[in-house]
Amino acid sequence: MKKISLASILILILVTSLVKNSTKKIEDKIFTINENIRSLKIEFEDEKLEYNYLSSPKKLTQYQSKYFENALLQIDIMKVKKIVVEEDYLKVTDFKEKLQVDE
Amino acid sequence: MNKKDNENITLEEYENKFSYKKNKSNLNIEFNRVAFIFFVFLVISTIYSIQLLHLGSLKLNNEKKKSMFHKKNYRADIIDRNGNYIAKTISTIDVGIKPKEVIDKKHLLLMLNYIYENRNFSKIEKRLNENKFFYLEKNINPKRYEELMLLGDKSIKSEESLIRLYPQDNLFSHVIGQIDNDNNGISGIEKSFDIELKKIKESLKLTLDTDIQFLIRKELVKFQEIFKSKGSAAILMDVNNGEIFSMVSLPDFNLNKRATIKDVNYINRITKGTYELGSVFKTFTIAAGINEEIIEPDTEFLNSKKFIRCGSRHKIREYDEDMPSDLTVEQILIRSGNVGSVRIIKKIGVEKHKSFLKTIGILDKIDFDIEEVGKPQKINWNEGCKLETISFGHGITTTILQLAKGYSIISNGGYDIKPTIIKKKIDKKHKRVKILKNDVSKKISPILRKIVSTKEGTAKQANVAGYHVGGKTGTAQQSIDKKYSKTKINTFASIFPTENPKYALVVMIESPKLASEYVYKYRNKEGSYTGTPYNTAGWTSVEVAGKIIEKIGPILATKYMEN
Repeated sequence: MKKISLASILILILVTSLVKNSTKKIEDKIFTINENIRSLKIEFEDEKLEYNYLSSPKKLTQYQSKYFENALLQIDIMKVKKIVVEEDYLKVTDFKEKLQVDE
Repeated sequence: MNKKDNENITLEEYENKFSYKKNKSNLNIEFNRVAFIFFVFLVISTIYSIQLLHLGSLKLNNEKKKSMFHKKNYRADIIDRNGNYIAKTISTIDVGIKPKEVIDKKHLLLMLNYIYENRNFSKIEKRLNENKFFYLEKNINPKRYEELMLLGDKSIKSEESLIRLYPQDNLFSHVIGQIDNDNNGISGIEKSFDIELKKIKESLKLTLDTDIQFLIRKELVKFQEIFKSKGSAAILMDVNNGEIFSMVSLPDFNLNKRATIKDVNYINRITKGTYELGSVFKTFTIAAGINEEIIEPDTEFLNSKKFIRCGSRHKIREYDEDMPSDLTVEQILIRSGNVGSVRIIKKIGVEKHKSFLKTIGILDKIDFDIEEVGKPQKINWNEGCKLETISFGHGITTTILQLAKGYSIISNGGYDIKPTIIKKKIDKKHKRVKILKNDVSKKISPILRKIVSTKEGTAKQANVAGYHVGGKTGTAQQSIDKKYSKTKINTFASIFPTENPKYALVVMIESPKLASEYVYKYRNKEGSYTGTPYNTAGWTSVEVAGKIIEKIGPILATKYMEN
């Protein structure tokens, strides 16, 4: 009985050490990946900041006046249509439904 | 054994000296062997564990070294509802020179001359001679930093630091606020969320929309120039949950410049400024009457005079000489009748009207996400003609934020809301509290629509096709030191679409002037009109609101469309 318990303790220690050793490799990999993610995240945030700045409404209106002049026209929302997919066919309706009752 | 004659057989007792016994000492040997193996394995696993622990602590140290979160001056980013940066903390490098470590000053100056072509080097030379550390350039760009490092001069020192950047410049100045040089918030969100911003890793998300904020600000800036006003403000709120899409107050300032602002004109006109707003309060008067079931939209008030006496000295007059003497409640609101409003409020009485205004959050200081919040003046309800003047919005002050809240509650079915600029997770357990009766919204919204859509209404210029705008105008003389001045506060409080209100937009212009060259294009008919005929809300803030809704309407209709 004593031998069995001692042997099982030994096996447990051995197995724990083996498992820890193999998980250490996985942990190393996780650590490396996390470090890479961190640096990529910083880079991503910097790029996102630049993107936000360049695509900000202020910048876009500057580009509009610089490159498009009057080519961009505002459309009356009452003239906009929408396409609704219904089973086998496409239905075209007004985007803003006109009120039937006269205000 | 055969017995032979006279042979003696001797049997001896044979003692075998070898006797098999369980020897206890054997067990000892075995135990020692096992213990030894056990010990060896223990040592091996301990070595492994120490190594693992050590690696783990190394990881933590590395994290601390590399992570921005652990650095001094760390501050969480602030983003809008679509994830666009409003405030961002970035790592930068400051480069300085330690003159004591300079080997060849002339050589160093020559090299720096190549890198900084347009710099005044006499100043740098002077500082080199002072033998004290000084900064050569703060927030240096990567290219120039590389050039400096390639010089290989050990007197050139670099320091990593964090700075706060506001990519939208002026756009959110009153909302975001500023920080001081010690990374402490001193106004706006930066101040009220100072502790959280220093602790949290993830970004603080606001309910504001950058695109809508930009478009509204652009219109306000344009009309500030046209009407030569002292200041202006606009707020766009979701009537159902109090989320604020946009909050603009002019004049504003560039957060990146970190200037100390002492001019009172740079006040936040949405939350801090308290104003007597005039006829926009007539909506509250009528809503209070409907809520108390004292009046209905078709209740008639007959034989109204052009003025009504209040006390022994005061006369309250109609602003419109052509106001009919027989009007329904609906017509009183559409035509903005003063006398009619006074008659209605007298029926309601002080206590009920006071209770109504308190319920919709007009009377007391509002609890909001930023600290810069104004406190409405305390009212002495028993004083003179107080109740009568309050019926048409005089003798009572409030903030634009609270006005927007009041209109939202009146139009959303009577549910209480808490205006906010912080985006919160939807709490499904949260139940809306109904504070007004159902009828109020259903009866008031169509009247507000008629103010915009009918000929008799005062807000025709806000009748943008497709958005079913409803609202009430307010033209009030500005009260300065308890006296009325000639300058005006022109306000338009609107809701849209009126058949199922989703948004409340309030536009306020402070001290507008007549614009003689501005061309008004009629919305209800063909043609146009040049020049501002009257300095009233109908010709100023309503026009601005109409232009704003025209611009932001398509975004609201598509981006925030309910499926």
